[in-house]
Amino acid sequence: MKLINIILPGIAIFFVQFFFVDVLSLKMIRPDFLVIYIFYISLIYGKTSGMIMGFTLGLLSDLSGVGSLFGLASFSLSITAYLSGFLHGKYERLLPYIFHIAWISIIAFHFLLIAYFRLQTVFVSDPQIFWLHWLMSFSYTMMFFLITQFFYPIQEASRAEVT
Amino acid sequence: MLNLYLALLKYKDHLIFLIALTLSLTLLMKNDSPDVLIIRGKFSDYFSFVSSPFAWVKSMTQLQEETQLLREKNIQLTLKLESILTAQKENNDLRDLLGFKRESKLQLLAARVVNMGSSSNLSSLTLDIGSKHGVKVDQPVLVPGGVIGKTVVVGEYSTIAQLINDVNYRLSVRILPSGNAGILQFVSEGYCEIRELQKNSLISVGDKVVTSGFSNIYPENLPVGEVVEIADERASFQTVAKVRIQPNLGALLNVFIVTEEFDEVN
Repeated sequence: MKLINIILPGIAIFFVQFFFVDVLSLKMIRPDFLVIYIFYISLIYGKTSGMIMGFTLGLLSDLSGVGSLFGLASFSLSITAYLSGFLHGKYERLLPYIFHIAWISIIAFHFLLIAYFRLQTVFVSDPQIFWLHWLMSFSYTMMFFLITQFFYPIQEASRAEVT
Repeated sequence: MLNLYLALLKYKDHLIFLIALTLSLTLLMKNDSPDVLIIRGKFSDYFSFVSSPFAWVKSMTQLQEETQLLREKNIQLTLKLESILTAQKENNDLRDLLGFKRESKLQLLAARVVNMGSSSNLSSLTLDIGSKHGVKVDQPVLVPGGVIGKTVVVGEYSTIAQLINDVNYRLSVRILPSGNAGILQFVSEGYCEIRELQKNSLISVGDKVVTSGFSNIYPENLPVGEVVEIADERASFQTVAKVRIQPNLGALLNVFIVTEEFDEVN
């Protein structure tokens, strides 16, 4: 049952990302629904499930078409899942503001990794453009993250399996 | 043995993390490995097949608008044709006079964009033609506005093209009319840079940027973009030219692949 609960939404979200993300593209920056999903999976089911799904979906994402840096999505999503797993069941034990800073930092770090790998030459030649790109891609996905909060708040997800 | 098993069980999270990281980094470092390219080519075929109905719906919705644009373009081109024919005749006469005997032509293959990948940053396109249609790895991908990339993974019925905005994409270019050559790389949306140009180069805003022909991939004189800004590097003898490229890579529906360049002797 747990397996179905993890895999089926994963496949659905991958196809949403694959088919419809172009519609939401703004100046070539597109939302990353996979990171939102992986974050929730790690938060609900812990590191192991999150990392396996993160690596698998990242690999699928890379196989679905990427110019170079094949393997970057699986790399960054595995790290995100690993870090998010530390917050599994921790909402009650941490101060709320620390919990929220932690998960926002994890997502920010995910985008920093991707931006650094993708724009490493820009990082050297024009850091301002680099940081702007990072901020834009991070903020755009965070917008969808906040929308998700209305339907499934993070604090609920964090204690979902604990309770 | 039991202790090892218990230790593995205890640290399984970290172990899985290490395995995932190692595998991802291996893939990252083996980007150009033939085995990886073959696997990517196979998967590209599957993904292209799955996304083709969506691409069809997308193209149908834009068909009417495109037809209208094409009609307008057709009229404009018909008007231009006359003057071009006259210019060509004059050009041929002058070439003959100068003794030029070679004329380069490109063989283009039209391709439809079926997918743009699922990564949060666009850096590739999946096209609906592959090795069965004569596409090979490292062939230039063009639109009327200029070069937008090259083929990197070729399946039987689909191709992944690396776009000009990919981090590892470099293009050897020449700025006209001065003739200065340099290496172009992506900076930000719609813009690229040509670095390491000499400060005394006679470059001005509005100059055309074309492929230099130095590489084995790109024939010379394919349009790339135009210079929009020139900035001197501090404490250096070099200058940087900012180039505007095909502005909306995310909205491409059709592209061309240069499958062959043949020189014919008149």
